[in-house]
Amino acid sequence: MFEEASEVFENMFKSSFPLTFIVFLPAVLILVSPLPAEAAHEFTVYRMQQYDLQGQNYGSRNAILNTEARTVEADVLSRRCVLMRLADFSYEKYQKALRQSAGAVVLVLPTNMSTLPQDIVQQFMELEPELLATETIVPVYFALEDDELLSIYTQTQDSSTSQGSSSAAEVLLHSATANGFQMVTSGAQSKAVTDWAITSLEGRLTGVGGEDLPTIVLVAHYDSFGVAPWLSYGADSNGSGVAVLLELARLFSRLYSHKRTHAGYNLLFFLSGGGKFNYQGTKRWLEDNLDHTESSLLQDNVAFVLCLDTLGNGDSLHLHVSKPPKEGSPQHALLRELQMVNTFQYPDLKFSMVHKKINLADDTLAWEHERFGIRRLPAFTLSRLDSHRSVARNSIMDMRPHVDLKKLSRNTKLIAEALARVIYNLTEKGTNGDLEIFTEQMQVQEDQLTSLIDWLASQPRAAQLVDKDSSVVSTLEYYMGHYLKDVKRHFVKADKRDPEFVFYDQLKQTMNAYRVKPAVFDLLLALCIAAYLGLVYLAVQWEGFTFRGPVQHPSPAHGTTSQATLSSSGSCSPYTCNMRDFLQSQWSQECVLTNLSFFLFLGVELDPNPSHRHQHHACCSPLLHWLAQVKSSLLKSSLITSPHPSLKLVFP
Amino acid sequence: MTLFHFGNCFALAYFPYFITYKCSGLSEYSAFWRCVQAGATYLFVQLCKMLFLATFFPTWEGGAGVYDFVGEFMKATVDMADLLGLHLVMSRNAGKGEYKIMVAAMGWATAELVMSRCIPLWVGARGIEFDWKYIQMSFDSNISLIHYISMAAVVWMFTRYDLPKSFRLPVTVLLGLCVYKAFLMELFVHVFLLGSWMALLLKAVLTGAISLCSLFLFITLVHSS
Repeated sequence: MFEEASEVFENMFKSSFPLTFIVFLPAVLILVSPLPAEAAHEFTVYRMQQYDLQGQNYGSRNAILNTEARTVEADVLSRRCVLMRLADFSYEKYQKALRQSAGAVVLVLPTNMSTLPQDIVQQFMELEPELLATETIVPVYFALEDDELLSIYTQTQDSSTSQGSSSAAEVLLHSATANGFQMVTSGAQSKAVTDWAITSLEGRLTGVGGEDLPTIVLVAHYDSFGVAPWLSYGADSNGSGVAVLLELARLFSRLYSHKRTHAGYNLLFFLSGGGKFNYQGTKRWLEDNLDHTESSLLQDNVAFVLCLDTLGNGDSLHLHVSKPPKEGSPQHALLRELQMVNTFQYPDLKFSMVHKKINLADDTLAWEHERFGIRRLPAFTLSRLDSHRSVARNSIMDMRPHVDLKKLSRNTKLIAEALARVIYNLTEKGTNGDLEIFTEQMQVQEDQLTSLIDWLASQPRAAQLVDKDSSVVSTLEYYMGHYLKDVKRHFVKADKRDPEFVFYDQLKQTMNAYRVKPAVFDLLLALCIAAYLGLVYLAVQWEGFTFRGPVQHPSPAHGTTSQATLSSSGSCSPYTCNMRDFLQSQWSQECVLTNLSFFLFLGVELDPNPSHRHQHHACCSPLLHWLAQVKSSLLKSSLITSPHPSLKLVFP
Repeated sequence: MTLFHFGNCFALAYFPYFITYKCSGLSEYSAFWRCVQAGATYLFVQLCKMLFLATFFPTWEGGAGVYDFVGEFMKATVDMADLLGLHLVMSRNAGKGEYKIMVAAMGWATAELVMSRCIPLWVGARGIEFDWKYIQMSFDSNISLIHYISMAAVVWMFTRYDLPKSFRLPVTVLLGLCVYKAFLMELFVHVFLLGSWMALLLKAVLTGAISLCSLFLFITLVHSS
């Protein structure tokens, strides 16, 4: 068949070129066709942080993943994608995977993380900084669990645990029944994002009564941080700080809009970006205001800078200072008012001052107020946390349920009361500590705070994701513009030659899990198919009866002569006939004899000159010799006397 | 999976055709071109069927999961054109009955194999994803070879003038079974909610039964005449 076909093709190509083109073009197209992306399961994965800060590399340096999945129970993890669930995740297992040079690590997180047991959450939060502390070459991904992914995990776990112990046969059987999974990410390698601009927002309320009014600066950074940027919702840190700042802006804008309550203090509100990356936004803002501009509110008569950081929960508040405020200074006044409001209005709340000197030797600054402290501005941070090292500030577990709105609004109220007391100098005027200013129409609106927190915690606000066109920035800007004057944006871009911070892309990808089988399975399948084809071959030989049997079959009833059609290819399979008939009928014996006699003819024909035979048919000589022997023995036993009379040789 | 897997599926799908072609002795009759002609007829008939279906059968707009019994039955009826096509091929070839049947069936089945299974196998079995359906598809092509051989045999018997009266009924029944086999299969799968392996097994059994019956009839007919 193939010879004929090739001849046909040859003629075709000789005769006409366009035909060749028509035949070859589809062939080439088919050959180069890309492999289809039809996966068993497709899910979104979020890559671990990757950034450089002040020349230091952090996080996972790789994004490409194309390996088979295993769970951590498997013996060999090298160049495998290690699947882990949060419930059984531990630093030891993670390290084990890295030590065995795993191809990737995918951590499966439950969809609803608020229902997790507290100890697991706490454990993971403590692990997060450790995962990020050193750079890893292995790509690390986080995925949210769904039914499909869970079933992939279970199947992978089954195949991973059964590997070592079972016998070869079991492994073979297992390979046929069980599924392996090839994990493939669709994206390219991660690369540094150039020209990334971090946006900060500024707005003000101008005081009344004179030229050189003191300024109070309220600062909160709006970005969030976690082990994976796309999963960092940062509800408490620092969504709560932003919410408090915006609520204060609303309250004081109302006070400042009435002539009688318009105070002699400028209020400057600043929402800084890049707060989790060593307060880049604040740093640039200070440089812009202090070094490059002629006149700025920050240059003259700053009363104090109050930074708001993580205020959404807990029953304690800490005022973090770099140096204790002096008696008589505005800072001391605020401290005193905070204490007074605390004692008179919220005695349940524990308020304390925490003193920590700025350590310039550290890689990063502890609190945001230290940025101001370095520039000799009186500053402090108000937070519910007693230490800047608290894991709650940098966790993907910091989601909406972590904020208690009752406590958030209480903290807002306390700060607002204390600020108002400073601004209107109420203590000097002799008012009691239990005087509440923000009541009735002026009270802190809890539903306002709720909607703010809900909105802030509804989207990841990692610094890598919030660019100047993002809805986070524009909504914040709109909100500030509603209450404040002169709302401005400030941008920070890293220096091109010696960047202070570098972000990388490919943080969110689509991962495909392809169902695959091991190579052993292919071999096993090939064996099975070969066996099947062998059976088919035998069956076709049997069935060949339908086509040729009746032709060759000399029906004993009719007594016709047998006719054998011998193919020129020799006697490999000259007869195809029904086995049963073959065995039963007289004809089968005839068949054997005819076959033999064909050989004998061959032998006789080639035989006459033994010397000649040796020259030309050296290779056949043992066969011919044997045939001659058979012939002579047959002749002796007088089984055949002459070539079979009914044999008719047909050579096509 | 891999190219090797594709090779496996390909071997499974194509080698039975090759074996049949070689061992049935068609190769000795230089029947290659006749098979190609039969294949061309297959293409022509399929085109006609498609045009007919597209013109006269509106797309089924019922809800998903609802089985359009009448519509599918009518569509299966259009498969009668296959019988005509096979008859056409056989009537154009002179020769013994067996030869005519084998040429028509081989050409027909091979054309179907090339047209409907080649590209899915190349694209699917070579992809990363493993799926049993390509192995099933290859088995299915073997079944359809048997199906077309028996169908051609039945058509040949049906068109003979000297068909004995007693043969007329069973041959007609077999003819109907051949045409509506796909429809019956779909119905079974739909009613009993069979898995793909069970459906394949059922198809094999059904086809095997039909082909055995037609083989029996054929042998009896050939021997009696």
